[in-house]
Amino acid sequence: MSARGRHIATVAGKRFLFGLWYARFGLASASARRAAFARQTRFACEELGPAFIKLGQLASVRPDIFSAEAVFELERLQDSVPPVPIERIRRAIHGEFGQDADALFDEFEDVPVASASIAQVHRARLKAAYRPVFGAPMAAGTAIAIKVVRPGATDDIRSDIELAHRWLRWIPRFGLLARIDLEAFLGEFEVTLRSETDLRNEGRVAERFAFDVRDDELVLVPRVVWTRTTRRVLTMEFVEGWRLTELTDAERDGVDARALAIHGADVFMRQVLVLGRYHADLHPANLFVTPDSRICYLDFGIVGITLPAQRIAIAQVLAATVYGDADRAVRYSRELGLEIPTSQEAAVRDRVAALMNRTLRRPGQRADVRGFAIGFLSMLADFKIAVPVGYGLLIKALVTVEGVAQAIYPDIDITQTARPFATRLIAQEMLRPGRINAKAPEMLRAAMRVLSE
Amino acid sequence: MDNDHFMRFMASWALVHETADEGWKAAVERGSAQIEGDMAVGPEAFVDGLSAMIAEEKERLKASLASDQVEPSGSRADVAGHLDLLTFEVSELRGRLESMQASLDALLDQSDDSGK
Repeated sequence: MSARGRHIATVAGKRFLFGLWYARFGLASASARRAAFARQTRFACEELGPAFIKLGQLASVRPDIFSAEAVFELERLQDSVPPVPIERIRRAIHGEFGQDADALFDEFEDVPVASASIAQVHRARLKAAYRPVFGAPMAAGTAIAIKVVRPGATDDIRSDIELAHRWLRWIPRFGLLARIDLEAFLGEFEVTLRSETDLRNEGRVAERFAFDVRDDELVLVPRVVWTRTTRRVLTMEFVEGWRLTELTDAERDGVDARALAIHGADVFMRQVLVLGRYHADLHPANLFVTPDSRICYLDFGIVGITLPAQRIAIAQVLAATVYGDADRAVRYSRELGLEIPTSQEAAVRDRVAALMNRTLRRPGQRADVRGFAIGFLSMLADFKIAVPVGYGLLIKALVTVEGVAQAIYPDIDITQTARPFATRLIAQEMLRPGRINAKAPEMLRAAMRVLSE
Repeated sequence: MDNDHFMRFMASWALVHETADEGWKAAVERGSAQIEGDMAVGPEAFVDGLSAMIAEEKERLKASLASDQVEPSGSRADVAGHLDLLTFEVSELRGRLESMQASLDALLDQSDDSGK
């Protein structure tokens, strides 16, 4: 076994033993056991470096595969690593454009503004004016962010994946591991990695997002400079502001934080329920608040898609969630692919109702969507009900929106914010001519019954 | 149906309409007075809130009709939407070409250097 293989085995073994200890050797409740192992998995990913951090991050948006406890624990993985020496970054830029960074950009800064496992970001200024694909022209001297794929980063990650593929062939499958198709998950990870290391994809998704929200003056998406963008280098407008993770009370006071938080949630709902394309990798570190009270979106790694037929069902589930209607939530979840056996339907509905009362309808307290989502996904796991991919991604995204909105304005109640939006959509569906035609005779009969009473 | 019956029927109809209208106005008034969270109190509160939202939308529609901004479907507004999308897609292609050109220039530079 290679030195790297031995290291991975040691860390995995150690964390498994710690997990056993915290799970009271299996005597703790099912949820506590899952939480204990999820925590140790996060620690293991952090110890094992970039490949495992990326793998953990991918797992954190897949509640259809992993337990709710694992998903919400792994989202805490911070992708921040020491920067690559500047000479290697400059060489990478030269390799991509055939020119030095100083010939391509003005005031290229050697100290990076961010450094993650796949890429690091340097600040500079545009040498010449540029007309972007979307948005106002950029004058010479405009501040820009240059994202460069770390030389060798993908090779290290790929060799870890190779190792994982070899191990999967002989690791015994039992319990949870028997249910999860880890080979398929690794395959998906490779595809994601390939997409993430071609930075042109990120530029294209960012522009499409900017186009989708073009009529919204409160949303800002950095403009892409394509003449300075290749597979390994992405040049975008540098946006001044505060990451949501760094927002202090003083900065909140300077902007209309409450309105911004509500608007952020509205933008998400519009993406999911109207546009059909949404930023599924929202994270407080991927969002900025600008001094002129706008929300700036960054990092368009994962995009979720909702089909027209799904949108009404999603709106119904959303309305059921914000109004605490368990029956409606179960009914429309089925339309989204959740296969609840008829024999379990009543029990599921009761559990959902109890969960809603505990998390969403607490008198005098703010609704806890995150608590509801964890409880809901755990309940599905208890009933052994499979979570469809899109459904899981959506639940995860809704929880993230709550986290993001609360990072801007801590007292916001996301269910209150979602109510008018969901209500409007449902009313729109109810008043659809086709539906009125279908329901008119029934409505007339009901009206006659009332009048004759 | 003789004339009296017809008039009686129409009067009933007008009365129903008037009562419904008063009920609607009262619901809008109650809904407008609601504060955050009131809509969830019960079905009546929900209907009041919904009525207020519809009334707001109606006012917006009135304002929009008054400012002559509404155009029939398939009109200039639709064409402008399609034009926006097409312009964006053409610009997207330009972006791709610019990026490819940058990569091509780099490759040409490298082949020139290795040829020297």
